[in-house]
Amino acid sequence: MIELVELTKKFKQIHAVKNVSMFIEKGEIVGLLGPNGAGKSTAISMLSSLMEPTGGDVRYLNKSMLKNPAPLRKVTGMVPQEIALYTELTAEENLRFFGRLYRLRGTELNKKIDEVLEQIGLTDRRKEVVNKFSGGMKRRLNIGVAMLHDPELLIMDEPTVGIDPQSRNYILETVKRLNSEKQMTVLYTSHYMEEVEYLCDRIYILDKGNLIASGTQEQIKSILSTEKTILVQANRLTDEFVNAIKTNPTVNRIIVGEMEITIIVPKEVNIFSWLIKLAEESGLELSSVNIKTPTLEDVFLHLTGRALRD
Amino acid sequence: MTWNIIKKQGLQLLRNPQQLLLLIGLPIILITILGTALSSWMNGENPDIRAKVAFVEHSNEKEQVEQFIDGLKETMPSGELESISGNVENLMVIDTLKNDIFGNEEIQEFVELDITNPSMLNQLKEDNTFTAIIEVPENFTYNMLEKIILDKNVEPSLSVLYNDTHQIGGSIVESIVTQFQEQFTLSVFVNKNELDQSVLQMDEDGIIGEVTTINQKNSITSKDYYSIGMAVMNVLFIAATIGSMALYEKKNLVFDRVILAGVSRWVYFIGVFLSGALFGFMQLMIIYLFAWIAFGVTWPNLLAFLVVTVFFSIAVGGVTVLLTALSYRINSEMITNFFSSIIVTIMAFLGGSFYPIGDSLVVIRTMGNFTPNGAGMSAYLSILRGDGLSEISEHILFLLIFAITTIIVAAFSFPKRGAVK
Repeated sequence: MIELVELTKKFKQIHAVKNVSMFIEKGEIVGLLGPNGAGKSTAISMLSSLMEPTGGDVRYLNKSMLKNPAPLRKVTGMVPQEIALYTELTAEENLRFFGRLYRLRGTELNKKIDEVLEQIGLTDRRKEVVNKFSGGMKRRLNIGVAMLHDPELLIMDEPTVGIDPQSRNYILETVKRLNSEKQMTVLYTSHYMEEVEYLCDRIYILDKGNLIASGTQEQIKSILSTEKTILVQANRLTDEFVNAIKTNPTVNRIIVGEMEITIIVPKEVNIFSWLIKLAEESGLELSSVNIKTPTLEDVFLHLTGRALRD
Repeated sequence: MTWNIIKKQGLQLLRNPQQLLLLIGLPIILITILGTALSSWMNGENPDIRAKVAFVEHSNEKEQVEQFIDGLKETMPSGELESISGNVENLMVIDTLKNDIFGNEEIQEFVELDITNPSMLNQLKEDNTFTAIIEVPENFTYNMLEKIILDKNVEPSLSVLYNDTHQIGGSIVESIVTQFQEQFTLSVFVNKNELDQSVLQMDEDGIIGEVTTINQKNSITSKDYYSIGMAVMNVLFIAATIGSMALYEKKNLVFDRVILAGVSRWVYFIGVFLSGALFGFMQLMIIYLFAWIAFGVTWPNLLAFLVVTVFFSIAVGGVTVLLTALSYRINSEMITNFFSSIIVTIMAFLGGSFYPIGDSLVVIRTMGNFTPNGAGMSAYLSILRGDGLSEISEHILFLLIFAITTIIVAAFSFPKRGAVK
């Protein structure tokens, strides 16, 4: 359906996106994962025709959209990272304004507004000005505006940033429902790997403008087939304990949390008994030592040496 | 589509009470304060206004009177001649004007008379500090007496040259000279018809008179003046307000949504322009409606008033779209903030919103007329004085050229796709 071919964007001396190629098939939910500043927003701005690339091509139904993006725009719904709404207007007034921009009129517009309000769960708040909405409600309306014209492709740029878990779940369920009921194709960007893991059929991982991995979740996680992840939780951590793990030659990488350490080691290495002994010597009380199922976070750590949210 | 954008802008403005208060409430408050506080000054009751008048006589009046009486000796009966000779002081009309009229204590409070040699005349004309130059030609009094007493067919006339940059002072001097002239004509009539001389007593209140415009048309009150001054100044803020709103649309990516909906950026551009023009027009009408209800500011030529308001609003639309385009280009509110805090103040000063620019330097007045608010203000004041469309056509033309120029500059400045992010 849509293809990015060696897409590049350069701002003066900074390469925001470097030769990124990806494709999205109809009916898929595709995740674009990467930390802040990875180039996700720049990539989707080019994909949605809002930004002209420095190099490469954006193709929709096998036709370049660089010169004439109108066909792509017609089938695209964009959910920006910002709350792109008029906060002085009511939910209904916002939907009506954007609906008219999409040439919806009269009964058709009214019907569509009712439908979207129902989908995003704001029917009974339709007459309230957006200023009075909670963060989660604003995010839901932000999505609703993008759904007014029944787009084939919904591009969502970090749609759950800064909202409570309940609203976040609501949004994730809405995306799932749109995909299953309306066969809507979704490109979902996030730096929350658990959201991408939950929603997406295929994933692209971006870091510093480069595409560093792509495929289904299983394919990506198989990158870690030669390693395993051990999660150590303790009542407290000491520098002596952490430094000893860091200097262990069998340990590939570690992430130090407040009261837990994630350790990546080769699959054949067993450091359980060593860890327990080390904790005893350091005067720490371990609460658990587990081998974790690899996550996308672990993959990212493996590929870049940094956590997604660093 | 454009109407949808305008309607949305209107809703946003209506839902912002602080902004509404600034756009509508502030000018109304300022008109009330300035119009009331400065009413005495504008209406000429305050002697702080100083008019400097140069008085140039080309010949000695006493000699002219003596020469006239000598000439009568051969033809006039001695009784009548004695009566005229004994009344020499009353025959010296210029002396009366200089000493009795301009020498009057009350007049001296605001008119300074400078009696000057005729050789200085050209120099005086170059000197912008003089409000008026009264020039008495050769043998003026002699000819005047020949006309009054001997009924000769001569038409002596005074030459009064007004400095058109001294609007208020000029009208005061003109009023005094006109009063004197009328009084003198009446005197001749009374003499010829042997009526009671007591009717010729000068009315001192009448000498002060009321302030009228230099061209003797309708007078402008302080409330008229400041209604226009504050309206033309404050309407510029609507341009900055809509410019800021447009920049906010860009920053929070609403503009991206508009573009993705397949709306041309030029439709949006036109929407911003029309919003500025339409809401500017509405703001002006609300302020003038208030001025009419509260202060009785009425327009003698409603068509001319509407034409100026429409063209001025179009110029405001031009400013709006220019501010929007520049703000989009540099992606910052700096432009609109600078415009509303600095540029509007300078334009209001030059345009005459704070005080009558006509009494200042000609260069400032000229500069003022090259601002949209200044041109609008000059046109409005002309209408209030009684002028019609033909007299204000140059201001209307300027407003149109200004609007076209700003729109063209804005169109070239408006960033193209992907130029700014």
